[in-house]
Amino acid sequence: MKKIVLLVSFCFVLESCDLFEYSPYDGKITGERNINSKNISRIEESCEGKKVIRFAFISDTQRWYDETQACVQSINNRDDLDFVIHGGDLTDFGATNEFKWQRDILNALTIPYVALLGNHDCLANGQQVFESIFGSSNFSFLAGNMKFVCLNTNALEYDYSQAVPDYQYIENELNDSRSQYEKTVVAMHARPFSEQFNNNTSGLFQYYTKQFRGMQFCLNGHEHQLHQVDLFNDGIVYYGVSNIDKHRYYIFTITNESYNYEVVSF
Amino acid sequence: MRLLVFKLFYTGMAFIISTHAFGQDSISVNDSIERTKQYRSVWDSFIPKYVKLQYAGGMGFLAIGSGWDYGNKKQWESDFLIGWLPRYTGKQSQLVFTIKQNYIPWSLHINGKVILRPLHTGLYITSTMGRDYWIKEPDSYPDSYYGFSTRLRINAFIGQQLTFLFRQEKPLLAKSITCYYEISSNDLYIVSAVTNSYLQPQDYLKLSLGVKVQLL
Repeated sequence: MKKIVLLVSFCFVLESCDLFEYSPYDGKITGERNINSKNISRIEESCEGKKVIRFAFISDTQRWYDETQACVQSINNRDDLDFVIHGGDLTDFGATNEFKWQRDILNALTIPYVALLGNHDCLANGQQVFESIFGSSNFSFLAGNMKFVCLNTNALEYDYSQAVPDYQYIENELNDSRSQYEKTVVAMHARPFSEQFNNNTSGLFQYYTKQFRGMQFCLNGHEHQLHQVDLFNDGIVYYGVSNIDKHRYYIFTITNESYNYEVVSF
Repeated sequence: MRLLVFKLFYTGMAFIISTHAFGQDSISVNDSIERTKQYRSVWDSFIPKYVKLQYAGGMGFLAIGSGWDYGNKKQWESDFLIGWLPRYTGKQSQLVFTIKQNYIPWSLHINGKVILRPLHTGLYITSTMGRDYWIKEPDSYPDSYYGFSTRLRINAFIGQQLTFLFRQEKPLLAKSITCYYEISSNDLYIVSAVTNSYLQPQDYLKLSLGVKVQLL
């Protein structure tokens, strides 16, 4: 009996060590958590009062660690950016370590970043790991006079059985009457009409997103292609970014009068 | 389905054994004893030869199981283990089932009591229970959307063993006890590591410890 107690306590000591792994899906998180909310505070603080916002948009970094590192390097080499938005698919298999590896690479960014939930991140227990490390799958933040609404649109991952996109959440965001913001940008992983989206509600999604105060444009990942499409012919352009393997990302500059973008190759 | 396969297997085995045992048309007492012996010896080979307890290695926190050793020098071992994966971030703790094939080609007798097996290698497949883990992606996805299984992991390992023999004259429960370690990796980590210099051996190679108690 004494030996068993000793053995079990020995195992618990070993547990704290990363050498041993109980499962690639163990959900055992070491290191930083709640990254989005911490970084949102940094963004809101550093951008307060700003009328010109410049940010980078990257996405689909799954299983491209070397390329993600090169991208982080490229972003760090600039000093004109306020923050980075990651459009989701940090992982390929939803494995716990993949989230940690990506977090550790992205944490090397000198400016704050936020990450959205991608469809690959939902695999197995991935969403719970994502929520623990990064935060909830729907979130919003202010940067200067701009509001960014980041939405989970991976409806196929829930077999359409959950509120994805969550229109109650969108409605609450629409009712956000704070006077600090004048413009809105909506970011998502999978855009309307993609196989992940709940396309029965594409029109509704358009109807809702158009009503955001000073609606500028939408951002999406998932397609692994660079594109700029006016999906609904209503003047709201969807900017899709390529996967990181193609060594490209967007930089958007939103000024008082308008906005512009550039594609950076690294 | 699983139960059906199990039943079919045993019905089939029983059929083979019975035709084998009853196939001869002699009715002498000796033959009857012989027949019983044969019948028992076939079933005897199904009795697991040892029990194993393994820590980590993607089989859960602790996995317990048993198996069979065979071959001229008992260089082959086949195990079945059940592991328990505690809840960390997920909704609940999980069970992990493992089938494992071991190859232990060399045995070095250090003295009358200790045997070193300098190479212990093989493959195992783990299966994580729970409805978030599928073998084949659900039909709701377009064809070959993800192209891998979240439930099944193929693992490869390499390790070493040290066996301590018990004195035969003492009526002990076991014949010997073996301690081993394994360094393993799984299919997901291997495909990640080959294309990324970012990943270091400590990221994709994991250590595991085990004990085998030889009963037969």
